[in-house]
Amino acid sequence: MNYSFFPGCSLEATARDFLVSTVAVAEALGVRLQPLPDWTCCGSTPAHASDGLLAVALAARNLAIAEQLGPDLVVCCSSCYSRLAAANQAVASDAEFRGSVAEAIGRDYNGGVRVRHLLQVLWEDIGLEEISDSIVKSLNGLKVACYYGCLLTRPKEQSIVSDPEDPRIMEEILSAAGAEPVEWPYKTDCCGASFSISRTSTVERLGAQILRMAKRSGADCIAVACPLCQSNLDLRQADIEKSAVERLGIPVFYFTQLLGIALGLSREALGIDRLVVDPRKVLRKSASAS
Amino acid sequence: MNNTAQIKAINRDFAAGLDPEGKLRLSTCLQCGKCSSGCTMRLETDILPHRLNRMVLFGMEKDLLASKAIWMCVSCQTCVSRCPMKVDTPALIDKLRALAPKAPDQETDRIRIFNREMLKSIRRFGCVYELGLIGKYKMRTLDLFGDLAKLPMMLRKGKLKLLPPKRNGRKAVAAIFKRVRNAGRVK
Repeated sequence: MNYSFFPGCSLEATARDFLVSTVAVAEALGVRLQPLPDWTCCGSTPAHASDGLLAVALAARNLAIAEQLGPDLVVCCSSCYSRLAAANQAVASDAEFRGSVAEAIGRDYNGGVRVRHLLQVLWEDIGLEEISDSIVKSLNGLKVACYYGCLLTRPKEQSIVSDPEDPRIMEEILSAAGAEPVEWPYKTDCCGASFSISRTSTVERLGAQILRMAKRSGADCIAVACPLCQSNLDLRQADIEKSAVERLGIPVFYFTQLLGIALGLSREALGIDRLVVDPRKVLRKSASAS
Repeated sequence: MNNTAQIKAINRDFAAGLDPEGKLRLSTCLQCGKCSSGCTMRLETDILPHRLNRMVLFGMEKDLLASKAIWMCVSCQTCVSRCPMKVDTPALIDKLRALAPKAPDQETDRIRIFNREMLKSIRRFGCVYELGLIGKYKMRTLDLFGDLAKLPMMLRKGKLKLLPPKRNGRKAVAAIFKRVRNAGRVK
């Protein structure tokens, strides 16, 4: 299966491990991801906070390139996913606005590219059975709290699942890899996202709630699909422990890293060593259960 | 939080100017408060979402543009997703931010400065140059030491790149910024 692929800024830097694990997992499952040539930033939070036309134009430039390559564009970062999907909706629903966007990007784009998150491709196109058949090293009951954050399920019109208040797509994929997802109530709560640097106190407060609840729900680790969720819960966990005076020690994996381990891929290929909270103990537990 | 709104006269022009076609559905708000009970920032903000919507309809421009609330929205989309009337509060807040010159205090203004520096990074490089963005932000806010201790680890783990990226599409991005600005939109 071939798809065009939008990596986005974070996957080239802070979330390099999300990129390498995505590419490795895709290859292991026979999916070819062709990076969009000359892709540029989707505009992320600051563009839509400043001007609606700018936000849609920055995203639509990439969609117009993708249109020439094929019907589907695969995205991993939930923020990029959200901006690209929002741009599609904006140009498809308003002809006059579509005209303004065409003027801004120098070509007409009608919203025709299907923007899809990697989770959707795994669930809909590959299928749970195929994933399950490809597992060589089961995650053996590893207790995972699947954390979706905001932008994979909100707003409703852009949700990758039919039930935005209780998504289960990540749970089902990781179950197929042998993991045992825990039931927990904070899976679509917000981590504070782009306030990481400009209002760190908020991110630490929200992060503490999320990490504590994951632990209380019996999770060994958290799985995420967003570079900002990952960094807010992993990179800031030591600071959160300090202000909460509580030891948490919960590794925060990209879901592609956990799936990759189950597919028998190496730690190096999955960028496991880039995680900040040491995941070795949790991974040993899973391995020794086999 | 102030629980009473002081209004002398209703100015309908403000809401009409922000949302001429009624796309944000502000006037359908039932004041049920579902948005506010789920708001990520409900414990920190100064105006809750359902109240903010009503203040726009009342035309309380000055209070809104001087609020922390419009900067403290983290764009999590919880309010609009749960709203029974589909009032698009996050989009409303984006429009209010574009009208406000800056946030009311230094601490909240950091959010505005960060957004602006990130946008500049995108305009210049075609994507976000994280290390450069953090440096610029720290110089502008004089928040020099926060997270400094994490930098060596982040560089070692390859989470930050020292040099700015060179994306081929950066000129196309700069051109988009220029055209949108010429259309009289971005400040």
